[in-house]
Amino acid sequence: MKTQAAVLWEYGQDWQIEELELDDPREGEVLVRLAASGLCHSDEHVRVGDLPMQALPVIGGHEGAGVVEKVGRNVTTVAEGDHCVLSYIPACGRCPSCAQGHQNLCDEGAELAVGLARDGTARHHVRGQDARLMCLLGTFAPYTVCRETSVIKIKEDVPLDKAALVGCGVTTGWGTAVYGAEVSPGDTVVVLGIGGVGANAVQGARIAGATQILAVDPSPFNREQAKRFGATHTFASAADARAALPDLTRGRMANSALITVDLATGAILGDAISLVGKLGTVVLASLASVTDDRAVVPMFEVTAFQKRIVGSLFGNANPRYDIPKLLDLYRQGDLLLDELVTRTYSLDQVNQGYDDMRTHRNIRGVIRYP
Amino acid sequence: MMRTRAAVIWEAGKPFDVTELNLDEPASGEVRIRFAAAGMCHSDLHVRTGDSVCRLPMVAGHEGAGIVDAVGEGVTRVRIGDHVVCSFIPVCGTCRYCATGRQNLCDQGAQMQTGLLPAGGFRFHDDAGADLGGFCMLGTFSQHAVVSQWSCVPIDKDIPFDVAALVGCGVPTGWGASVNVAGVRAGDTVVIFGAGGVGMNAVQGARHAGARHIVVVDPVLFKRDSALRFGATHVFADAASAQDAVAAMTRGQLADHAICTVGVLEAEVVSRAAAIIGKGAQVTITSVGRTGDNQIQLAANGAVVGFQRRIQGHVFGMCSPVHDIPRLLRLYREGQLMLDELITRRYRLDEINQGYQDLDDGKLIRGVILHD
Repeated sequence: MKTQAAVLWEYGQDWQIEELELDDPREGEVLVRLAASGLCHSDEHVRVGDLPMQALPVIGGHEGAGVVEKVGRNVTTVAEGDHCVLSYIPACGRCPSCAQGHQNLCDEGAELAVGLARDGTARHHVRGQDARLMCLLGTFAPYTVCRETSVIKIKEDVPLDKAALVGCGVTTGWGTAVYGAEVSPGDTVVVLGIGGVGANAVQGARIAGATQILAVDPSPFNREQAKRFGATHTFASAADARAALPDLTRGRMANSALITVDLATGAILGDAISLVGKLGTVVLASLASVTDDRAVVPMFEVTAFQKRIVGSLFGNANPRYDIPKLLDLYRQGDLLLDELVTRTYSLDQVNQGYDDMRTHRNIRGVIRYP
Repeated sequence: MMRTRAAVIWEAGKPFDVTELNLDEPASGEVRIRFAAAGMCHSDLHVRTGDSVCRLPMVAGHEGAGIVDAVGEGVTRVRIGDHVVCSFIPVCGTCRYCATGRQNLCDQGAQMQTGLLPAGGFRFHDDAGADLGGFCMLGTFSQHAVVSQWSCVPIDKDIPFDVAALVGCGVPTGWGASVNVAGVRAGDTVVIFGAGGVGMNAVQGARHAGARHIVVVDPVLFKRDSALRFGATHVFADAASAQDAVAAMTRGQLADHAICTVGVLEAEVVSRAAAIIGKGAQVTITSVGRTGDNQIQLAANGAVVGFQRRIQGHVFGMCSPVHDIPRLLRLYREGQLMLDELITRRYRLDEINQGYQDLDDGKLIRGVILHD
């Protein structure tokens, strides 16, 4: 079939809207008609080259939900007409990581930056060339063919444009607090960076019972938004939060600090470590540039106060368990999704959407497909 | 030596006797407390009825808050004038369990059923010279008591004594049952059997930890209605109705946790609890049963092995008295923990038998004795 897609031809350039020639799904693959795609920062990381694909061109987008249009041979978990969320990490269910309860680390994730079908071929073609898919999904297109392992069936009563966000940003942020930091009732938690991930780290911390949630973001708009999701205090910088914490905690400092900034740098890791007290946990959920290998860490504090630094991918979540669970929490009114979407765009406004993200005008922008 | 008025259990099965006793001065490592308030926990009733076998006679009461009014030699934890909550578990800070983060299992707790103090002997005596221990080494149903400093946790002076008293036993036991023992996580389904002074705090703990469904089973309408105020999402009068509802609300997965906080633990509630949880889930046993009642019934294959269920008992909600008592009071001050709402009625010490009758009749979440 012929449709459209937002394609990146060269790092540093804008997304280009191209005509997309899409093949039928083959064995273990699913054709999905997308309802919406979130504009996540990771696609921006790809665009600028911080997170390079194995090769270009690539179709962007990895936060999507829609309806199954057609399935290839031997697809058993979804059928035509099913509503689904696309998980940006596939979950094969049988690799060592999946087998040990860490579906977020599924070995199929090794191919996220390859972006091709299992056999190395492509179903997506633009201007006669094979196109790769961001996170094996390519949700910056009204239709995509992806692996069954990426497709999570959901109930039909959740609006698909909200469900889309649970495929990446919501689950990443929520899980960073709930699973990564293991926030407990009464905790003091600092969230560094309030975007589409950080806002959800704030709500994860709130739902897990944190009583003080300090949101740090240089943008007044993002700080204001943080309060809607449960932040009890907001600061423009980590240094300001550092100064306030002794009074707020009787000198104990925070139980955990969650790094959810747009681009992780060596300096922020050190900032975060100084915000937590004894046995405190720093969770690094943000992506850094793949070439950035230097962090500035107060090493004495790490040892003397027995602090922990842990990475977190997709909020340590298991897509097949946590995506439906988070939608249950949304349905019940505990998890805010509607409030995350600041602006919606059509596919050909994708560059405008990222411009709004860069200028701190969005918590989450969403592309809606007709 | 001074005189004090106290509620005494002389013999199992008899009512509490409010009488005057002699109280020694604090020995080394001991402090004298003037109690302002004492919570009426079910455990004291267990002692009175003989369900729990203790050394008698005994001064009852193990949930109390008051002011330190005398200290013996070598006391470092508190000073005269400090406001304190008495923890029903002492914390020595040096035994194997204290040293490994399990202060709720402090070895000094070994004398809870006799009231023998670490320095040796008893401080309560009747006029005939008989020695009386305090329940849990406390005896908070006495205007004054001499206790080990290890039983004392200093608190901020802005906390009212009646709510502070509850944080010495029922509140951390229930709250900790959900938060620490069960380890309730955001989005979980929790079933709580029995919504009294402990169970209601298990409800609050589950709510605070982000549970999605908090299902309470209690035969008393008043308690079911109260549970809804504390955060229960569903209430049922009997376990069978809860079973069907939990199956429906979890799409057949059943609950993540069941917590037994009934007044007297009996075999049936454990069987019901084990049946209402799903694979790999845990039954948390908080309630005390009758001494000598050694029976619980579980289908070993289906209920325990086949579904990998776990039965976990605990003391004091696995809370650390010196850490968690101030922490819970902070949550109270911040409006996150409901304590005032737990107190259904306040009594004078002379009204103690009426108070326990009300508890037995299901009229109380928590009764509190206000000392003169």
